[in-house]
Amino acid sequence: MNALRAALARIAGVFTRDRGDDDLREELLAHVEMETAENVRRGMHPDEARRRAVLASGGVTQAAEAVRDRRGLPWLDSIAADVTYALRSLRHGRAFAAVVVITLALGIGANTAIFSVVRGVLLKPLPNRDGDRLVYLRHSKDGPGADNLTFSVPEVRDLRNGVPSLAGVAEYSPWNGILQGDEGAERITTGLVTGNYFEVMGLSAVHGRVTRPGDDGPGVPPVMVLTHEFWMKRFAGDAGVVGTQLMLDKRSVTVIGVLQPAPFFPDRMDALLNMVNSDHHLSAMMVEGRSHRMTEVVARLAPGATLDQARTEVEAVSARMQDEFRQAYNPAAHHRVAVIPFHEVLGEQARLTLWLLMGAAAFVLIISVANVANLTLMRGVRREHELVVRAALGAGVARLRRMLLVENLLLTLAGAALGVAIAVGGVRLLVSLAERYSPRASEIRLDGAVFGFMLALSVAVATVLSLLASLPREGRFASTILSGARRMSGGVNRHRLQRALVVVQVAVSVVLLAGAGLLTRTMMRLAEVDTGLATEEVLTMQVPLLTTTELMSDPRADAGAKVRYEQMRREAAALPGVIEAGIGSPLPLRRSTIVFDVKAEGRALAAGTPTPRAELRTASPEFFRAAGIPLLQGRTFAITDGPTAGNVVIINRTLADLFFPGEDPVGQRIAWTGEVLRFAPISGDWRTVVGVAGNTRDGGLDAESRPVVFMPFAQMLALGGGLVIRADSNVAALIPAATRIVRRIAPTAPIEHVMTVAQYKDRSVSPRRVNAALVSSFGILAVLIAAVGIAGVLAFSVSARTNEIGIRMSLGAGSGRVQRMILGEGGVLLAFGLALGVVGAYFAGRVMQGLLFGVAPNDPATFVGVAVLMAAIGIGACWIPARRAARVDPAITMRA
Amino acid sequence: MAEKLDVKQGTLALMILRTLDVLGPLHGYGVARRIEETSKHRLTLNYGTLYPALVKLEQEGFVTAEWRQSENNRRAKYYSLTPAGRRQLAREAREWNQTADLIAAFLAPRREAP
Repeated sequence: MNALRAALARIAGVFTRDRGDDDLREELLAHVEMETAENVRRGMHPDEARRRAVLASGGVTQAAEAVRDRRGLPWLDSIAADVTYALRSLRHGRAFAAVVVITLALGIGANTAIFSVVRGVLLKPLPNRDGDRLVYLRHSKDGPGADNLTFSVPEVRDLRNGVPSLAGVAEYSPWNGILQGDEGAERITTGLVTGNYFEVMGLSAVHGRVTRPGDDGPGVPPVMVLTHEFWMKRFAGDAGVVGTQLMLDKRSVTVIGVLQPAPFFPDRMDALLNMVNSDHHLSAMMVEGRSHRMTEVVARLAPGATLDQARTEVEAVSARMQDEFRQAYNPAAHHRVAVIPFHEVLGEQARLTLWLLMGAAAFVLIISVANVANLTLMRGVRREHELVVRAALGAGVARLRRMLLVENLLLTLAGAALGVAIAVGGVRLLVSLAERYSPRASEIRLDGAVFGFMLALSVAVATVLSLLASLPREGRFASTILSGARRMSGGVNRHRLQRALVVVQVAVSVVLLAGAGLLTRTMMRLAEVDTGLATEEVLTMQVPLLTTTELMSDPRADAGAKVRYEQMRREAAALPGVIEAGIGSPLPLRRSTIVFDVKAEGRALAAGTPTPRAELRTASPEFFRAAGIPLLQGRTFAITDGPTAGNVVIINRTLADLFFPGEDPVGQRIAWTGEVLRFAPISGDWRTVVGVAGNTRDGGLDAESRPVVFMPFAQMLALGGGLVIRADSNVAALIPAATRIVRRIAPTAPIEHVMTVAQYKDRSVSPRRVNAALVSSFGILAVLIAAVGIAGVLAFSVSARTNEIGIRMSLGAGSGRVQRMILGEGGVLLAFGLALGVVGAYFAGRVMQGLLFGVAPNDPATFVGVAVLMAAIGIGACWIPARRAARVDPAITMRA
Repeated sequence: MAEKLDVKQGTLALMILRTLDVLGPLHGYGVARRIEETSKHRLTLNYGTLYPALVKLEQEGFVTAEWRQSENNRRAKYYSLTPAGRRQLAREAREWNQTADLIAAFLAPRREAP
């Protein structure tokens, strides 16, 4: 208590300084007076009495100082003095301060912005209760398109019964629904979930309730839980929506609650439904079909269970299933189930990109700090005299160091403050980038933790800078002053440090430039990729007319939809400027989600080859011409390939090469196969190949072409069909007219994916472009800073060696020779930096291999280009100080 | 003249408290004189030692200070013991006696083995 009281009194003492000083002086003088009076009383002469009294006091000023230290907070005072002093000294070196602050602001700002993204997307704990116990199960097998097969209900059942270390196993089946609203229909992304889903996920409702096991099975009312994001967007956060009925897929569903904000995988979600919402999910096909896989699985580790235990047990169950149901698992395909922590799976797409950007930003900071360190060192040399004088006047080394620290802190904090502005702008850009990679992009914000990171970074930078400055050693001030030296020795060491810093700067710049070069080339390669479509003047719009239930169970609705699609097609084809219009599903360049095993007649696969899987797509006779997909062999579909005519298909080149290498596929027969056909509304009849279409880049320009089987639109269900319109020019101008046609024929249907081929391409390239642009701007920044660094260090070296140069010149060295000497000095640093940088770039390239496309991680052209560029800039930076050295006038320097 | 001693760390506060306890309110000079006399001039207090100690005691609430007229009509700052100071004195005196006994026992002349 007394300590606290004393502390408060001291803090108060800071503010009552002046009054206390007068008081103290009077008290001490009174003491002297009384002692003097006493001495006089003892018979001393008054002068002698006073002298004795003052002598005994031990110095009134010193005493006042001691009391003052005791009374206030001396360190606060001296820090205030340090700050005042630092501000004054920085005001004198305004250019220096500005350069340092801007350099640091760029470094700190970039790091803060990217750290906020890394934290939001990768590091922050999940909002789910005990989110670290949550796992995602991924079922995959060998072969293209088989890296995430999802699960069938019987498989989930086996896992639920056979894995004790998973406390809860929940099913979640992505499902698109059409939500009817006042302003027309809208397709929403939903998930059909089992009643234990929310319990397993550890999520609760902010309004109303979530589903529970009682909502499972048939014969219960259909209900939905809105996600927080969708609720805010569509219902503006109105809690009154809970309890109301919405029309989803043409049936009435009760909204029972709104979920807390949470990320979903693999897609963002609008609403979660109980299973009764989909007849299909209660059908025998779904419940009994072991290879009818459309269910994602999340699970929660049982208390005390470890991830490894769960993995072992899941592996055992998977092996048992494959043993027991041989027809559902081709042994050659190596079915396997991975158990992945949920937070990892959420970040898996973003991880590499984000760490790359974080690394690039860290490199920029390293270069900035190296540069500021060099500036500080140089400034330190000019200030040595001042420091020596301060030391001589009684400042200890600790005090000097603190003074420098305060100065550096002021600089870095000013840099950080400016960096915040950069970070705020940067985060907006980065969030739009992160949205493409991560479902957690909405969790990115500049919060306390991020600012804490920034503050820690600033203090660390300031500390490093302060430690770099060399200070006079205790006890050596006097000799330094006596010798009249304006500088202290130790210059050689410092020079070495400066040079090392320059080498680091060059090396790091090379690494960044190489990374930027590789990403830029990736982007260029990607933009050059042939989509497989002959023209970019193609407009697509998807118009799903039927709900999934209607599609599966209502042949009359299906026939009616086909009539309406054909009507839309005809009217669109009649629009001015239109070359051709077709119908198909899915639209060109979009990936089909319908994938089945496929076989060819009379072709046995080599033993151990997994059964190929092919995308099922539908196309009207006009589709290929409208989309600009070239027909390599055979013919396109004809009007005569109607519902009752012979089964025909067109396959893509990948599938043709797989089944019929070196042969003419036209006239051969293929068929869908696999156990799943027992449940699917599609037959395993033989179908005659009538043509081979060129490959198209579906699902992204960097995606591999998968095998594709086109079926005539008339011979297949009208899956979420759409229009493909080709025009002679400016196809985007047709959007309003085409939309009017669709609206008139299908007033309540949603219209989706209204995009031109050029837009598809751009969407595939743009995340890479942002990547490349970010890393390139980091690279350019780094090079500029490094160039300033080289020039600065050489300029300093020249000014420090003016005397020496003067002597050399007066002894006959020509100005050209002096210039070469300085250039050589810079050249050595540059060469070391380049060599180190190329080695670093080699490793950096390997790390970022996953982000590259069409370019090798050690692409020689990129590396040579970067090295030449860096060398050119570096030599340019050396040139200026070298010229200055060459212009040294020996007559002047020698006199100085 | 007796050997000069430095004021041991922590003992000065006790001496000041005790002085104020015995003599009542007193100015800094009076405290210094009293301590020097009590120590038979083996201790000398310069201001830089005495006054910070007084300030500290004041901050801790063991003494209060006020300006008064001194006996020979001079303005001086008088320090007096607070109730908390009195308790602190009792506590410190007790602890000091215990410590002194303990040290004395340690430093007692070695007894010869029988």
